[in-house]
Amino acid sequence: MNVLRTIAVGYDGSPDSVAAVCWSFDLAKKLDADVTVVHAVGLLEHLDGAFSRHEAPAALVALTKESGFDETRLRWFVDDGDACSVLLRAAAPPLNAELLVVGSRGRGNRAGLLLGSTSLEVAEHATTPVVIVPSSQTEDEGLVDKTRLA
Amino acid sequence: MLLVVNGLYDDSEHEDPGHPERPDRVTAARAGVTDLHLGSDLVIVPSYSATRDELLRVHSGGYLDELGAFCYGGGGDIDPDTFATVDSMTIARHAVGGGLAVIRELQRLGDGVGFVVARPPGHHALEDRAMGFCLLNNVAVAAAALRAQGERVLIVDWDVHHGNGTQQIFWDDPDVLYVSTHQWPLFPGSGGASEVGGRHAINRTVNVPLPAGATGDVVRRAIDEVAAPVIDAFDPTWVLVSAGFDAHRADPMAELQLTSGDFAEMARSVADFAPQTGRLAMFLEGGYDLEALRASVHASLSSLLGGTNEVERPSSGGPGGDHVARVQRERRAALEIVRSNEDEETES
Repeated sequence: MNVLRTIAVGYDGSPDSVAAVCWSFDLAKKLDADVTVVHAVGLLEHLDGAFSRHEAPAALVALTKESGFDETRLRWFVDDGDACSVLLRAAAPPLNAELLVVGSRGRGNRAGLLLGSTSLEVAEHATTPVVIVPSSQTEDEGLVDKTRLA
Repeated sequence: MLLVVNGLYDDSEHEDPGHPERPDRVTAARAGVTDLHLGSDLVIVPSYSATRDELLRVHSGGYLDELGAFCYGGGGDIDPDTFATVDSMTIARHAVGGGLAVIRELQRLGDGVGFVVARPPGHHALEDRAMGFCLLNNVAVAAAALRAQGERVLIVDWDVHHGNGTQQIFWDDPDVLYVSTHQWPLFPGSGGASEVGGRHAINRTVNVPLPAGATGDVVRRAIDEVAAPVIDAFDPTWVLVSAGFDAHRADPMAELQLTSGDFAEMARSVADFAPQTGRLAMFLEGGYDLEALRASVHASLSSLLGGTNEVERPSSGGPGGDHVARVQRERRAALEIVRSNEDEETES
């Protein structure tokens, strides 16, 4: 029996979220798990309309191939709201993710704790284990370059 | 008589070039007031900077400290939607103070209708977090001040987005009834019909999510059939309106199909919930098409003041006709579950 069946990871196109996705792919390969990539749609993104609720963005598909992760085990989940709320919804039915993964910093300054560190807020409210992929991982492994795919 | 509170008159320093939540919105809303040609029946009430104690009724001290430090330190993007500048805390405190000032003036006069023309908007702001263009929750601080005086406050939120901040703040408060009509699914993702209030405030939250394309006839049915019975039972002593005008069909932020005539109709309905004159105030929330905003402000205020000078006819014929009945069913089921849980806890 799998230790984990589904890993949900937050993705907003930022370098840290790319690092979190790559880390999730690696773990999923080791544990034979599925990966649900979660994207929160805010007010401005709705205004732009530059996202698809049904198809993963090309940058993510490319990242999947590059990581050697099985595309058939990738799920793209888009929902309206702030990043923390949407990620927490991935741990509830019907997605039932058993592990939440988030980069330490997403888009926006997220300057302090109360003003909105998504990673810390997710960690505070989640009922499943949470992994925060640190910024240093992005820098150490040269993953910043992969954001150019976005 | 119309009492209009301007927030800080010069709110141009809370601006992020290209952002839709911009100073021109206040100019457009003010133009909607000017179009009423009220003469001496228009009273301008000065705003002030809301005090820390007034804000603490709604927001945590830690959040206020951090938001203040962030702004005074130069500001920036709080999240992908929400920005702050060095002046944003000052302007936001005046927006809150404007709401409190108009309520005090309504209480002093015992007459009139209030309109708080201020930005940034507030209904997405949580106890401890800014989001959705909102820094401080203007309508919530006003409701909390009234509640502290022993009033029972109805908040009607007709912005196209669910007011998650206001709902969260009063979730378990039996003396505040929160009613929202909004497009769903849409930001912020909350506002389902099954969200009916906390254990101490069961049925003090009424959400009517509406499908994209819905027209004013559906919103009016939602107010009449879903909200009105709950409001009548609650028997409010004050009515505050989170008046966003982004449900207008011209607005770029969403897909409801309301007209300014619909806002006039909704204002007329909401006015009937106030126990007497001088107990109703509208707070500007969203609304990003300037012409639609101006026309909708004008139409709704005209309606509240007893006028009928609507330019656009109320809309009808959109989808969602069966939606109101579905919302009723979902609400009843949720209430049944919450009440049975409550009974079980009482018995044990």
